[in-house]
This record gives sequence, C-alpha cells and structure tokens, in this order.
Amino acid sequence: MQKLNELKTGQQGTIASVQGDTRFLTRIISIGLTVGSRVEVLRNEKKMPLLLYGRDSMVALNRDESDNILVEVTV
Amino acid sequence: MSTMTAVKTPVIALLGQPNSGKSTLFNALTGSHQHVGNWPGKTVEKKEGYFTKNGERYGVTDLPGSYSLSANSDEEVITRDYIASGKADVVCILADAAQLERSMFMLADYAGMDCPAVLLLNLMDIAKEQGKKVDAKKIEQRLGIPVVPFIAANRKEYDGFYQAIDRALEKKECLDVKKLDQRYREMEGGYYKALYDLMPKDGIDGYSPVWLAAKALEGDQVVIAKVRESLSIEKKKAFEETISQIKNGALLTGDCKFKWIDETLQGAVSGKKQRGTLSKFDKKATSKRWGKLIAICIMLAGLIASFIPAAPIMMIGQGLIGLGGGITAGLTAMGAPPIIISLLVDVALNTVGFAISMIGFVFSVNLVFGLIEEVGYMARVSYVFDGTMTKLGLQGKAVMPFLVSFGCTIGGAAGTRVIDSWGQRVLTIALAWVVPCAATWSIVPFLSSLYFGMGAPLVIIAIFAVALLHMMITAKIFGKRLVKEEDRTGLIMELPPYHKPKWGALIRSILVQTRDILWKAIKVIFIVSLVFWLLTYTGNGNPETTILYRFGRFIEPVTQIFGFTWQTFLAFVSSAISKEAALGVLSTLYVGGGSLFSATFGGSGTAANLSEVLATSITQAQALSFIFAVTFNVPCLMAISSTYQETRSLKWTLKIALYYFCAALILAFLVYHIGLLIF
Repeated sequence: MQKLNELKTGQQGTIASVQGDTRFLTRIISIGLTVGSRVEVLRNEKKMPLLLYGRDSMVALNRDESDNILVEVTV
Repeated sequence: MSTMTAVKTPVIALLGQPNSGKSTLFNALTGSHQHVGNWPGKTVEKKEGYFTKNGERYGVTDLPGSYSLSANSDEEVITRDYIASGKADVVCILADAAQLERSMFMLADYAGMDCPAVLLLNLMDIAKEQGKKVDAKKIEQRLGIPVVPFIAANRKEYDGFYQAIDRALEKKECLDVKKLDQRYREMEGGYYKALYDLMPKDGIDGYSPVWLAAKALEGDQVVIAKVRESLSIEKKKAFEETISQIKNGALLTGDCKFKWIDETLQGAVSGKKQRGTLSKFDKKATSKRWGKLIAICIMLAGLIASFIPAAPIMMIGQGLIGLGGGITAGLTAMGAPPIIISLLVDVALNTVGFAISMIGFVFSVNLVFGLIEEVGYMARVSYVFDGTMTKLGLQGKAVMPFLVSFGCTIGGAAGTRVIDSWGQRVLTIALAWVVPCAATWSIVPFLSSLYFGMGAPLVIIAIFAVALLHMMITAKIFGKRLVKEEDRTGLIMELPPYHKPKWGALIRSILVQTRDILWKAIKVIFIVSLVFWLLTYTGNGNPETTILYRFGRFIEPVTQIFGFTWQTFLAFVSSAISKEAALGVLSTLYVGGGSLFSATFGGSGTAANLSEVLATSITQAQALSFIFAVTFNVPCLMAISSTYQETRSLKWTLKIALYYFCAALILAFLVYHIGLLIF
C-alpha cells in the first residue's frame, strides 16, 4: 500500500483507506473518492495539488489531504 | 383539494452540485421574473423567481450550491432545512450526465427526504459527445421518480421537464430508498440499524428516520444535536453510546451511497470511459511550468476583451454626463433656479451616467469571465494558483479578480462572482482593492516625475512593494473573520470537462443580473453624489463657500500631521469617489476655476500651469505622502457600489471602505514622516 501522493503520473490503484475529520470525509466522499473506488493519477508534481481521475471525473486534491489516503496500486 | 392547489402556487426547488447547470436552468425558467436576496440572517444568496406555463404560475427557488447535504457550510444547512421545511412542492435534482456516477451523489445524499423529486440528467449533449448512452427509463424504474434527459441551456426542449414537474406535483412520488436502506442495514458494525431504531417514527422537523440515522452515523453534529433533543433519557443514552462507537461513519455511509448509485446505474449507462486522459491543452494548462503563464495570459486577454463591449456602453454613460453643459445652459435660459439646475445636472444626470458607465464594465467582465468559467477553464486557474492563493486564505480563482483590478477595481469586484464561497468572495474583493487600477497611473507618474524627476521609478517600485505588504496585512485582518480556520481546508475540486459555451443562456443570465446591478448602482451612486453635492454646493462658484472647504480648513492642523495641506486633503477625500479626480480637485483648489463637484465627478481637465503651482505649494514629503494616500485610498464610488453588489452586505462594504480610508491615512502619515527624514 502506498500514500496517494507517492503515486507517479499514470499509476492506477484502488483506495484502501481514508483518514480525517468528518468535514474532510464528507467532502472527499461527495467528490466520489470512497474506499474501494479506483483512481488514476493524472499529474503529481511537487508543490502542486494532485490531479486524479476517478468515477468519470477529473479531480484536483491538495497534497496534504492526499497524504491521508492510502492506495493499493494496481498498475 | 382541487381549489386548494389552484390557489397555491407550486414551488420547485433546484438542487445540484457545482457545474450541474443549476443556475442555467433557474435563469432559463424565470428569465426576468427573479429576485435575489439573502436567506434570513445569513449572507447566503437567495434566488427566487417564477414562471407561467399554460396559465399556471410556478415558483422556483434556486437552492445554494453545494457538493452534499452535510453540515459543512451555511449553504448546505440552509439547503437541507429548506427542503425539510416542506416549502417546496417538488425538488428538482440536477446530475451531470457526462459524469453521472459522481454527480448522482447529491441524489444519494438527498435520499430519505420526504419531498417529491425529479432527477434531471443534464448535459446530455456532452455525454453524447463522449460516446455515452444513458437509459433514463431504466433509472426511473429503479428510483421511482421521474428521470428526464435534459440540456439546461436548450430552452426550446424543456417539454420533458415540464411534464415531469406536473407529474411530480400530481402523483407526489418520492425517491424509493428501500435499496439504499438495505445497503445501510448491511453495513458492518450494525450502527445504522441501531440508530434507525432509536429515531422517532415520524422523523424530526421533516427529516425522515432513514436520513437522520445516516447523517447521525456520519457524525453530522447538527443532526446529532437535533436527535439528542428529541429523545427520552433512556433512548438518549443508547444513542450516545452508539455514536461514540462509530469511527469514520462518513466513509461507511459514503460507501453505501456509491454502491447504491452503481446499482441504480447498472446497465443504464454505456460507453463509459475507463481511464482519464489529459487533453493536449490541459497537459500545458495544468503543468507547473506553463500553467500559471497560460492562466495569466488568458486572464489579461479576457481583461482586454472586456473593454470591447464595455467601451461603447461607457461612452454612452460619459456622453450623458457630457450633456450636462447643454442642459444647464438650456435650463438657465428658461430661468430655472441655479440650485435646481445643479441638483438635476450634477446629481441626477451624473448618477445615471456613472451607473451606466459602471454597468458597461460589469456587464463585460461578467460576460467574458462568465464565458471562461462556463467553458470549464476557470477550474484550471484555481488549480494552478492554489498554492499561491491559499497563503492569503483564498482559492486559486482569486487571481482573476486581482488581475482584472489592474484594469479596473469595479471589474475586479464583479469578477469575484466565480468564487463560490461568500467569505472568500468578500476577502478577495477586500484584497483586490489594494491592486492599483488603471486610473492610478493617470496620477502617480505625473506627480512622481514632477517632484522626484529621475527618482520617479523608485516611487512606483515602492508602491508595488507597499501593495504587496498591504495585501498580506489586509488578508490577516479580514481573513480571520471571513474565512474561518476550519474552512481553510485544502483544495478538493472537480475540473469539469471543457464544453462549448451556450451563448444564449449565458447572455440571458447576465442581462438579468445587469438589470439588477444597475438599480442598486443608481441608488448607491445617487446617495453618495447627493451628500457630496451638499458638501460642495456653492451658490457663487467659489469653492471657499462650500462646507467641504470649511471642514478642510478647520481640520488642517490635524491633517498636517499626515502631511496634507487642506487642498491635498480634500483632493484625497475626492479620490475616494473617483481616483482621476485627485488632480482635478488640486487644480480647482490651487489654480482656481471650475467647481469642486465637477472636478470630482466630471473629470474636468487640469489647469495648464498646475505643475508650476504645485511645485511651489507642496513639499516633496507632502507630495510623496499624497501619492501613497491616493493610490491606496478607496478606489472609487463605483467600486464601492460593485462591492456592495457582490458582497450583498452593506456592513462589510462599509467596513472595507472605512478600513481603506484609515489605512490610506496611516500610510500617508508613515510616508510623510519617512519623507521628512529623507528630504
């Protein structure tokens, strides 16, 4: 398992766990990133938010927040 | 019953995530029959309107935009309380057909609310472009409510929508939540079942037991408090115990909700993309190296483009003001009393002229940047500037109003419309006022080179340095109140796929806004003009008989501490109404000629020998303090009006204005005393 922000551009995986307060959890779920959902990293560059693709949508996610998301890498 | 329904206007509430096309639908339905206000006691925008169909009137409420129905923001709480209150007869939920899985979340979060609903699968045209097929009938069977394939921007094809509304009003079908309830019940830990059994059978305040149990499970403090209040001591204990055992409840229900969505969509959506790819443009537009540069270039191009539709409208406004001379002459010839003429021409005519000029720019900025937002690019700007702007407590999009403010603060304030949180919008405006607008450059270079010759560029560099510092301090002062610490969560945002702009819908919505803004602007400008007119009214054309003059002379001992003579102080005050006025007023006061009022509002030119007169009447230190004071003063009356329009809060508008006036005085004081040490 890897932290989401350690994935390289083009890597895909399944979200294994998400940590955070209620506020963060409800927010991240409302955008479709739930445990078990598939994500692909479209862009991961230092000092910039992550760019992900999941559930048909392109999503930008802050680096600090993505530190709390663990992913089972598949590709 | 039938007479009851005939009397009462049915109300349709619109619910949807950002980018779902909610406002497009609202504007298309209501057109000019809409009213924008605030939700009681809140600074959240309340949009209501109505439309008439086959002789019957329907009310429409545009619920505040949000991603879910949690208690994360005022918007979300207002939205859910409104629905639960039963004020709406049918809730229209919008989902994005091109990203159905994610955008159905709002529906899943709504599930359990006992209000008849309709699901609109908006942006069907884009889904089609992407090769997706959506079977609305299949989804409808599973949900038990009307499901309509829809294109919000295409007003001519609303028949399906109207039929669905009538069906919902007649049959009052509510969303079928059995399957979702079942999912919840299968959840590990059995928390949902335990909570559900504790809920009052009829729910609380219009919220159903299913919805309450799920929200309590998610750790929704507002709901937990509500439930706690309604339970007996015994049940309350059991409730607290269950709640205390739950960890990350939001993940558990979220999982159920998306499983339910998947179930609902199974076999109903085909041609789904499995992987995401960045388009050629997005590869550059989101890159670290090019992203910011591209964003700045597009914003600046937008600013320039804004002047194209703005210029002719502004010319009409200026032209109206220009008629003043002729009207004065005409009325004088007819023997009208000078005070009436002055009131008509200086106040009434100027107000209308000013408001029209302002509207020209606001309209254009809203059109151009609304367009950039609509095609989906603004989200990319937010993405590339996220790091820079979060330092000020703002979202990345805030960079746009700042750039526009280099042209004109009015446009900068209007441009904050694309920022979806009220607090951040107000903070962005408060900071955009710092940015020196184009009018600043009609004064600063002239005065700087007059007093400092070759040193003038240094003055300009100092202005930029102070502007940066000013922004940081202002962000600290206002940021605390406007953007709460807990709201400063990192970026979590959808970057919508690019779509072609829908010109008709866009222009329609902006025209409605513009009409609204024009009225407000006329009111604000009229009141301020009238006050200023009273202060500067003179029966004989001599500025020394005005109240403002007497006031200026009276407090000169005080203003001297700040480095102001009474003349420069009055010019400074006038510059809060119109920045360009600063030189005109100096000219009137030092050289003579023209009235103070027209120097401020009319932008009457300056005397030819102004330079010489100024050079001998003001010292270098005084000049420097004046330059800074004018640059960082309240930008102009129309910027105040535009700020009032976008913040919808008189309190905050006045707060910001007063803050800038005082900050400019403090700056003048500092600069003057530093100047005294140097020169």
